[in-house]
Amino acid sequence: MKNTEVADDDDVTDDRAGAGSRIGPILRSRTALAVLFIALGFGLWLLAGAPEVPAKQLLSLTVWGVMLGGVLALGSIGLTLVYGVLQFPNFSHGALITLGAYIAYAVIGLLPPGSELGPFSFGWEFLLALFIAMPLVGVVALAVDRLIYRRLRNQRAGLVLFAMASLGMAFFLRSCVYMIWGPDFHFYYQGRSNPAMELPLGVRVQADQLFIVALAMALVVAVYLLLTKTRMGKAMRATADNPELAQVRGINTEHVIALTWILSGALAAAAGVMYGLTSQLRPEMGFWLLLPIFAGTIMGGIGNPFGALVGAMIIGIVTQVTAAFISPAYGPAVAFILMVVTLVIRPQGLFGGSA
Amino acid sequence: MALLEVDGVTSGYGDMEVLRNVSITVDDGEIVSIIGPNGAGKSTLMKAVFGLLHPWQGTITLAGTDISQYSPFQIVRERTCYVPQVSNVFTSMSVEDNLEIGAYTLEKSAIGDALERVYALFPVLKERRRQKAGTMSGGQRQMVAMGSALMLNPVLILLDEPSAGLSPKLVDTIFERIVTINETGVAVLMVEQNAQASLRMAHRGYVLASGENRVDGPAQSLLDDPEVGRLYLGG
Repeated sequence: MKNTEVADDDDVTDDRAGAGSRIGPILRSRTALAVLFIALGFGLWLLAGAPEVPAKQLLSLTVWGVMLGGVLALGSIGLTLVYGVLQFPNFSHGALITLGAYIAYAVIGLLPPGSELGPFSFGWEFLLALFIAMPLVGVVALAVDRLIYRRLRNQRAGLVLFAMASLGMAFFLRSCVYMIWGPDFHFYYQGRSNPAMELPLGVRVQADQLFIVALAMALVVAVYLLLTKTRMGKAMRATADNPELAQVRGINTEHVIALTWILSGALAAAAGVMYGLTSQLRPEMGFWLLLPIFAGTIMGGIGNPFGALVGAMIIGIVTQVTAAFISPAYGPAVAFILMVVTLVIRPQGLFGGSA
Repeated sequence: MALLEVDGVTSGYGDMEVLRNVSITVDDGEIVSIIGPNGAGKSTLMKAVFGLLHPWQGTITLAGTDISQYSPFQIVRERTCYVPQVSNVFTSMSVEDNLEIGAYTLEKSAIGDALERVYALFPVLKERRRQKAGTMSGGQRQMVAMGSALMLNPVLILLDEPSAGLSPKLVDTIFERIVTINETGVAVLMVEQNAQASLRMAHRGYVLASGENRVDGPAQSLLDDPEVGRLYLGG
């Protein structure tokens, strides 16, 4: 009898709450957030579509946005993987990006300068530098884990300690870059230009930018295949889902953690090397990329690699397109606003589980 | 020689002692049920056996090997599996991915056979193999969890409250499955709130209270013991 009464009471409460309780969840749904982003994006297009901004330029900006999104996605995917498996936000991720770019710069400096490959501004030594920087930064990330984070893990330290340790690591790694390469700007190649190509529909892009988009996409697909098709990838997803159960099922989670760091570091290095190609190398470059990367990660649902890709793409495109009518210096602010909007409407992100 | 021998184990979390000088044994092919009031340390004992906690004193041996200091992944290699009471499936992964993770230490070629064996035991899992485990009902989740543990064809399986949160009808189904699993030669060590029912299917039982051994013996004798009945079986 008592149970029935309780059930009746619940029904009454539901009715009283009425429309309010039904609209709330709808406003917080994934669709609502997606619709809002599309509306925002469309609004920006309209705003930007004022007479002084030709459609051609908007299209070019969008293509550049996809390129920036690809670079950010490599950073976001690494960040989200580490978060998933280790459950802390790695603030030193930006420093790994910087380190990747500078290692590539050092490798190019050591090699004899080759001629440009086809329409690109770089030669074969750049590709070699990329494939040296990726594993090297992966090893650095692993070494940091062994030195710092593993000790914290063994002491069962709290989230705040991990986050603070990673922030300290960010400053440490950046200082290393300052000490070795100095505070000045650097370019992979001094005085080489990469003129923009004219594509159909009046889109103007550099060959280098197309290379970045292609490589970023190739790496994203490789990560997707790794996570969904291979045993190690499944073990990584399992560890991110439930670390204790992963151990119980016979997974050596320390191995998984090591591989996650290597993968995350390698992707960060790729992002840094490519970002350095589109602008100059500065010791703070990774630090400034950290905000849009975090924004993309949170937007996609932290811990979800596919979400990180989509979130980073949105951030990249919106940041570039808004540059048509507000100063590009506000780029980080745009990323920040999108992050805050996500946190207010749907804190678990576009692809996060129901919180 | 017993398959599993827990000998005088004292353990706990941090500084808090939960188990005090606990000893139990499980022989090949046996169902052993551990009962006792809430907070008696039943789940802690399971965790200690499975290497999620290590004994402060005493030893745990499995088929003659001292596993006291093993990590869970090393214990899995000794063909012993554990089904935790809560969060015992990977909610974001499909049923089949869950089962494949259960076979993580198997050769790739052996996974197909293991899947067929588990699907034969739980046909509903085959129908729903693409479904995400997090979207399934409590009973089906329990089947996914038990199925994952059985992928390795273990010699011993530890079940922590397999009936928790299930409807009475599902409890019967799950208990029937446990008997079926046992009949294929797998030894079962289980912890249950549902003390009467679990003792009826068990060969032997232990009563644990305040982290210490109280009574043990053949399951039927525990069921017949008036004091055990009054104190621990709620009747």
